[in-house]
Amino acid sequence: MKYAYFPGCSLESSAKEYEMSFKAVNKVLGIEAVEISDWNCCGSIDAVHAYSPKLSLSLSARNFALAETMNADIVALCSACFFTLSRANKMLREDSKLKGTVDKIINDAGLKFTGEAKVRHYLDVLVNDIGLEKIAQNVKVPLKGLKIVAYYGCLLVRPPQIRSFDDPEHPVSMDKIVEALGAESLDYSDRTRCCGASLVLTDEIVMLEMTKDLLLSAKNIGADCIVTPCPMCHFNLDAKQKDIESHFDLKIDIPILYITQLMGIAFGVDPKELGLNRNVVPVNKVLEKLKTPVQVAPKA
Amino acid sequence: MKNGASKQITDQTRDSAFLEDVRKTVAGKKILNCIQCGVCAGSCHARFAMDCSPMQIIKMIHLGLKNDVLASSTIWICASCYTCTSRCPQGIDIPLLMSSLKNMAIENKVPAKIPTKPKFHKTFTEIVGKYGRMHEPQLQVALMNKKSPKELFKNARLGMKLWRKGKVKISPSRVNKKSDLEAIFQNALKKEEQK
Amino acid sequence: MYICHCGGNISDTVDVAKVKEAVAKLDGVKIAETYEYMCSKPGQDMIKQHIKDHKLNRVIVASCSPRMHLETFREAAKSAGLNPYLLDMANIREQCSWVHSDKAIATAKAIALISGLVKRARFLEPLEPKSIPLNRDVLVIGGGVAGILTSIELADKGYKVHLVERNPSIGGHMAQLSKTFPTLDCSQCILTPKMVYVSQNPNIDIITMAEPIAIEGSPGNYKVKVKITPRYVDAEKCISCGECARVCPSKKPSKFEEGLTQEKAIYLPFKQAVPNTYLIDKNSCLYFNKGICKVCERFCKGKAIAFNQEEKTIELNVGAIITCTGYQQLSPELSKGIFEGTNVFSPYSFGLHPDIVTNLQFERLMLQGLHRPSNGKPPKKVAFILCVGSRMDRGVNYCCKIGCMNAIKHSLLLLKAFPEAEPWIFYTDIRAHGKGYEEFYLHAREHGVKFIRGRVAEVVPNGDNVIVRAEDTVLGRQVEEPFDLVVLSPALLPNYGSHELAKMLGIDTGPDGFLLERHHKLRPVDTKMEGIYLAGCAVGPKDIRETTIESMATASKVATFLGKDEIAISPEKAQIIGEKCNNCGECIKWCPAKAIVKASKDVTINSISCTGCGICVPRCPTEAIDLKSSTDEQLIGQIEGTAIGEGDQPRILAFLEKTTAYGSADLAGQTRINYVPNVRIISVPSTGRVGLKAVLHGFAAGADGIVFIEGDDSPFREDNVRDHVIELKKELGKYSVESLRLASTTTTLPQYDKVVNLFETFSQRLAKLGRLSDDKRQKIREALGGN
Repeated sequence: MKYAYFPGCSLESSAKEYEMSFKAVNKVLGIEAVEISDWNCCGSIDAVHAYSPKLSLSLSARNFALAETMNADIVALCSACFFTLSRANKMLREDSKLKGTVDKIINDAGLKFTGEAKVRHYLDVLVNDIGLEKIAQNVKVPLKGLKIVAYYGCLLVRPPQIRSFDDPEHPVSMDKIVEALGAESLDYSDRTRCCGASLVLTDEIVMLEMTKDLLLSAKNIGADCIVTPCPMCHFNLDAKQKDIESHFDLKIDIPILYITQLMGIAFGVDPKELGLNRNVVPVNKVLEKLKTPVQVAPKA
Repeated sequence: MKNGASKQITDQTRDSAFLEDVRKTVAGKKILNCIQCGVCAGSCHARFAMDCSPMQIIKMIHLGLKNDVLASSTIWICASCYTCTSRCPQGIDIPLLMSSLKNMAIENKVPAKIPTKPKFHKTFTEIVGKYGRMHEPQLQVALMNKKSPKELFKNARLGMKLWRKGKVKISPSRVNKKSDLEAIFQNALKKEEQK
Repeated sequence: MYICHCGGNISDTVDVAKVKEAVAKLDGVKIAETYEYMCSKPGQDMIKQHIKDHKLNRVIVASCSPRMHLETFREAAKSAGLNPYLLDMANIREQCSWVHSDKAIATAKAIALISGLVKRARFLEPLEPKSIPLNRDVLVIGGGVAGILTSIELADKGYKVHLVERNPSIGGHMAQLSKTFPTLDCSQCILTPKMVYVSQNPNIDIITMAEPIAIEGSPGNYKVKVKITPRYVDAEKCISCGECARVCPSKKPSKFEEGLTQEKAIYLPFKQAVPNTYLIDKNSCLYFNKGICKVCERFCKGKAIAFNQEEKTIELNVGAIITCTGYQQLSPELSKGIFEGTNVFSPYSFGLHPDIVTNLQFERLMLQGLHRPSNGKPPKKVAFILCVGSRMDRGVNYCCKIGCMNAIKHSLLLLKAFPEAEPWIFYTDIRAHGKGYEEFYLHAREHGVKFIRGRVAEVVPNGDNVIVRAEDTVLGRQVEEPFDLVVLSPALLPNYGSHELAKMLGIDTGPDGFLLERHHKLRPVDTKMEGIYLAGCAVGPKDIRETTIESMATASKVATFLGKDEIAISPEKAQIIGEKCNNCGECIKWCPAKAIVKASKDVTINSISCTGCGICVPRCPTEAIDLKSSTDEQLIGQIEGTAIGEGDQPRILAFLEKTTAYGSADLAGQTRINYVPNVRIISVPSTGRVGLKAVLHGFAAGADGIVFIEGDDSPFREDNVRDHVIELKKELGKYSVESLRLASTTTTLPQYDKVVNLFETFSQRLAKLGRLSDDKRQKIREALGGN
């Protein structure tokens, strides 16, 4: 089954390892994800929408127009992009006046879209299209002994009015994948609590406070690592972990992996291919816990 | 009307045109349905940093307390996590409402309680306008408080750390069809000003 | 012909002398008199005297609305020896003198209205109401407190009651409660004596494990088929010793205990069950599933086990049916089924921790010795969370009505059991609406119950305890507190199966899904079907006191209905004219009362079920239906008489459904609102009665525009009216009559401004269109066969 892959801006830079491990996992599972040619910024409901709602919708619409020529479902990795595109899709399908306005804006660029292309997140594809059985079948290195916190973040599952591939309060899709890989998915009560990603550049203190709670509650239940499907959340949990430690005078030291990186490890993929050396908090601790330890030399 | 919180609610401090303006927005259509139950306030993950709760913002809109709403920190702090909307008995899209209120604050030239935010929205959009995609280093540099040596040092350190991990793309990623971008930006933003 | 001054109410605007003069000249009018107050004794005496002296065989009283005094005048006629159906009234007050100011025009309109009735009077027939015997037995569906109390009231009045309950015992939800608010009476202590009384009363026949599956007949004479599910225990032989349950190896969650404890596959629903008979749950019984065991049979002291019992169907003949089917609580499964897959319990983590329970489960916990389900220890700090799934767009819209009082009751009972306990109530509004409720609320506050005003955001299991998060909206601060026990107050829904039952009975459900009463204020226990009544939570959530009041009310209504032993059937019903009927059956699908049936070959109308609406009449292709008091000749006669007049003003005939729409026009008159005088109202049983033939006659006789107004509680609904008018417009198009010459609306009784507004706008429209052209009118006259 073919998918129209929408990377989103952070996948090329700060979340490079997500894309790398995504491609590696796709190879193993036989998923054909073709990058949407010449895609643009999703339209960012947080950043662009507040400046100009019409611009935000139009940017989303251009991506739909490009994807529709591919005749495939759009698959996003970034939760924020996923949400932006989902909501734009819904708004434009339901409000014909709004669609008319956006049509006029993008028609000048020779673009047309119907809004038919479905917008999905990769987790949805993994659990519902590929299936847990197939995932389990491809496990070469069972992650036995690993205690993992599956952290979903907020925009992946909320609001349920827009899409509902998983429960907005108690999602289970990532937990199920973690278990299919052989690890223990801990009972984490903050799985959908917001990390404050939209505030990282403008109101850092608030964001640090929000992410700190997530890290502490994971630490308190003895997590070996946290897995997440969103590059925004990953950045806050991983790249900013040191800042949180110093600001609040704490010691956390929990590696943060992308769900695709975790899958890659379990599938026996070469750690370099998974970009494991790019995670800021070193992931060696996690790998050492495995029965068949996998080594990775940290890059600097 | 003075900036800041009005001490009393009287016909001098209320502006019913404000309520009507909000009701015309997509998110504000159902604003009068709010029964002020407070589940949004109870759910809000950023509540601790807000001066008013989302529920209070809606109440102030009901009463037309325009300045209180647009001068609050609430509309800028909202993290768009959607916990409120997923539990609101009336399904009011609160983050979208906050976004519209940000627009109104800018239009009405009400100084943002968190000055970095409007700058963020503008800068982000400008960068996307240039390349069609975000370029994180440029955004970071634009928003940084260049007058604070502490912040300069912190950002430099983070930048180096990320650079070493290969997470920084120095040259921006671009959309090839620039004409598409020009057309979209021109049309969308032009109509904005025409209003 | 009698024209009333009505003490100036009429005569100040209508020139009654002129009317008398004009009317005296009409064909058939022998006597034309005016009088100050026709409804007074001398006025009535005058009528009676004239009937006797002049052998009058028709009487028209032109005065106030027939809704005021029709019965008065008909009684007068009857006492003078004239069949009352030969007397009619012209409304020249509410629909003429009170709403117009121009004397000349009002007088001309009065003359037209009266002439319409005079012409109609020629075709009036003497009618006799029929009386048929009623069956005095009653069926009560549902054995909860509503069904129980209704049955007792009726039994005490001497009626035989069949109390049909689908559960193995009567008692309903009230039997599950610990104490009732605000008096803190022990629920079972006040209920079980009633249950026992019901079981011992010779007038009440309790049928449990039973549900109605089909209903036939008409008010006063229903035939109800009831399906009885087997208990697999012989009720005659079971002595409730309990040996069977002691030895049964199979367990299942107890429904009565709300799933908190287990009971055996052979069980008694609860100790005070009535009837006190055991039953076997087929799903968990080893014999029914695997063909083994049967231990109960060996140990049964009464030899009552009967594995080969079969489903039975019985037939009950009753005169009235009372629906007391009660409510069910919202659950996660129900929620997902109703609210587009949303589980409204999700934020509260219901089902993810044993110490998160519902208020009904809390009732059972209190009776088991109040403890935490997780560890059996006493709960110290308890959160009561209101409005779960209630007052929601993606949930139920309405308030559950009893949640607040229940939580307050639970808090006080908790404190009574454990004085150091800390009850917290998280609310959006405290609804303490009933007698003694506000005082109860004060009592709770005085005892230190904490109230947090804020809808709970989330409930999070936290190992041994449970965390509740909400905003105290009064202080504007978030609250995060740990609790030993969390009690949720779920929304209340109509009981499962009530929609299917409503359909079977032919009654409506309201927008909230509960069974619909006839009138919100004045007829709260009737339904739109005569002979079918309601009581209790089947109509909407309520407390026990209100249920009791409704049970008393419904019993009273039923007693009135059945008490006469005979049901007087109005003679104003539809009949099939045998020679003209070709048994095509077209009328059957149009009848809203399901009164027309085709038995083997012949189509017949049940004159008891028939409501006289007349919707069938114009739809019969062979004109084979005759509606007494609205025959074709009567209707057309009235149309022809009413449409007379002179002048260039377009004339409007307004057909108003005789109860709600007509009443609304009367109400307009009572408020003295002024409207265009070229509207002449004709009362009809339903606008569905007025078909193409009548409309064509209207145009032929001089009308230029036709209006239909139907009451919105009529069985001829808004969409029916719309389709009806669309059809008429199509047909009228064949005569080149502009479709704008027809208008319609539906209205409620108080919306008289809607009625007046339609008259005004329609009149303006016709002023622009002008009168119907002469040649078009002539064409219609010719089509109808000459003048």
